[in-house]
Amino acid sequence: MPLISIEHVSHLYVGTGGTPSWALRDVSLGLERGRFTCLVGPSGCGKTTLLQLIAGFLKPTAGSVQLDGKPISGPGPDRSVVFQEYALFAWFTVRQNVEFGLRVAGMKAAERRKRSDDLLAMIGMSHAADRYPHELSGGMRQRVAVARALAIHPQVVLMDEPFAAVDALTRATLQEELLRLWQQLGLSIVFITHNVDEAVFLADDVVVMSAHPGSIQEIMTIDMPHPRDRGSPEFARWYARINAALHQDPKRKEAA
Amino acid sequence: MKDTAAFEARFLAEHQRSVRMRRWRGIALNILGVLLFLAVWEIIPRLGFANPVLFPPPSKVLEAALPMLGSGEIPWNILVSLGRAGSGFLIAAVLGVAIGVATARAPVIRDLVEPLLHGFRSVPVIALVPVSVLWFGIGEGAKVALVATGAFFPIWINSFIGVRDVHEIYLRSAACLGANRWQTLRYVVLPASLPFIIAGLRQGIAIALIVLVAAELAGARAGVAYMMSMGHQLFRVDIMFAGLVILGFLGFAGDRLFVALCRKLFPWYRPSA
Ligand SMILES: Nc1ncnc2c1ncn2[C@@H]1O[C@H](COP(=O)(O)OP(=O)(O)OP(=O)(O)O)[C@@H](O)[C@H]1O
Ligand SMILES: [Mg+2]
Repeated sequence: MPLISIEHVSHLYVGTGGTPSWALRDVSLGLERGRFTCLVGPSGCGKTTLLQLIAGFLKPTAGSVQLDGKPISGPGPDRSVVFQEYALFAWFTVRQNVEFGLRVAGMKAAERRKRSDDLLAMIGMSHAADRYPHELSGGMRQRVAVARALAIHPQVVLMDEPFAAVDALTRATLQEELLRLWQQLGLSIVFITHNVDEAVFLADDVVVMSAHPGSIQEIMTIDMPHPRDRGSPEFARWYARINAALHQDPKRKEAA
Repeated sequence: MKDTAAFEARFLAEHQRSVRMRRWRGIALNILGVLLFLAVWEIIPRLGFANPVLFPPPSKVLEAALPMLGSGEIPWNILVSLGRAGSGFLIAAVLGVAIGVATARAPVIRDLVEPLLHGFRSVPVIALVPVSVLWFGIGEGAKVALVATGAFFPIWINSFIGVRDVHEIYLRSAACLGANRWQTLRYVVLPASLPFIIAGLRQGIAIALIVLVAAELAGARAGVAYMMSMGHQLFRVDIMFAGLVILGFLGFAGDRLFVALCRKLFPWYRPSA
C-alpha cells in the first residue's frame, strides 16, 4: 500500500466571474514510503493545490486523499510543510523555530535541545542558533525552515518550491544537504519545482503535470544513484526527457 | 593575518564610536528642537505679537509653576491624574486585547461584531462624557471608567485587525507542526499581531489622556486638568499653560516608557520611535 494515495481527486476553485475552474481533474497517484518525488509542470497546473490537499489545508472537491490508508482530515505533524515564502516565526530565534513542533508536542526542554542541536549541526547553522530570522540570509532561512519541518520526524515532508527564492549557488548546496538529510533520516519527500535540473538532481520519481485542467501527464522513475553528476550524459538524457514531456503539453503550446 | 585581533578591535571601537555619536547627536537634536520651540514661544509675546497675559511666555509659566511645585500642589495633581489615566488604561488594555483577540478568532463572532466595531470607532468618546456624568456622577470610579472606555476602542479595534490579518502561512505552519488552538494563539497569533496590538495600545495612551482631561474638566477636586480649570476661573493663563506643558510631558513620557518596555519585552520587534 502506498504511503500517500490520491484517488480520482478533482479540485475546483471559483474563478473570476463566478465560473468554476478545475485546478485538478481526476488525478490519481500513489506515493511510496521513503521516496523522493518531484512534481513538475507549467505554472497553474495545480501543483500547489495537490500539495495542499496532501497537507490537509484543502479538502478535495471530489475523490480521496489518504495517508497510510486513512483519509486526511486536516493538517498535522505527520506531514510537515516547507513553504516557498519565508514562513519562519519572526518572533522566535532559529532554535525556537526548530523546536516549535517539539515544544507544542510537550517534549522536555533538554530533549528538545538535543534534537535541535543535532539538526542545526546537520544544516550547518549551530553558530546562528540564537539569531532571529531577520538576521539570516535567504538560504539560511530556508535551511532553518527545513530543519523545523524535520524536527518533528514527520512521515512525509511536503516542499513547495522551497529553494526558488535563493541564488543558484546556495540552491545547489541546499539540494545536496536535503539529499543527505533524506538519506540519513529515511524521509519521504514530495517536492514541487519549476526547475528541471533540480528535479533530475533530486528525484526518484518525477511526476510531470499538465494544465487546463490540472492532471498527471507522465510519471518517470530516475534510477541514477546519488550523488548525481550534472555533467554526465545520463543526467543530460533525463533532463531532455523531462523537458520534452513538459513542452509536449499541447495546451501549453496553445497558450504560449 | 597576524594583526586580525588588533584590526577587529579597531573596527569594533570605530563602530561603537559611530553608534554612540549617532545616539548623542540624536539626543542633542531632540533637545535643540525643544529649546527652539521654547525660544519662539518666549519671543512671540515679548515682541508684542501676542498679549503676554493671554499668551504668557515659558519664563512666566515657570515662575507660576515653581511655587506650586514646591508646595506639592502640582506633584499631587499629577499623581491623581496619573492614577486615573493609568488604571483606566490598564483596564482598557486588558479588556481591549482580550476582546480583540476573542472577537477576531472566531469567524461567527467576528462577523457579528465587525459592523458594531466600525460604528463605535467613529464615535468620539468625548461624546460619552456628559452621559457618564449622568450615570456615574463625578466620582473617581466614573473617571476611571470613562478613561477605560475611551482607551478601550482603539485597543480593541487594532487587536481585532491584527489578529484577523495574521498571515495564513503562519497559521498553516503552526497547524502542520502540530500546534493546537490554544498553542497557536499563544505562540503564533499573539506575537504575529503584536505590531497592531502595540499600535492600539499607543493610541490608547493618547486617548486616555484626552478623555482624562475631558473627565476632569467636567468636574473634579484634583488633577492636572482640574488645576487648569482653577487657573481658568482665576484668570491665570500661566497656570493653564503649566497644565498644558505637564499634559504634553506626560503624554511624551508615557509613550517613551511604552516604547522602551516593548523593546525590552519583544526584542524581535522594532516599534518605530
Ligand atoms: N485560491 C484560489 N482561488 C481561485 N483559483 C485558484 C486559487 N488557487 C489556485 N487557483 C487556480 O488553480 C489553478 C492551480 O493553481 P496552483 O496554485 O495549484 O498551481 P501551481 O501548479 O502551483 O502553479 P505555480 O507553479 O505557478 O505555483 C490555477 O489556475 C490557479 O489560478
Ligand atoms: Mg504553486
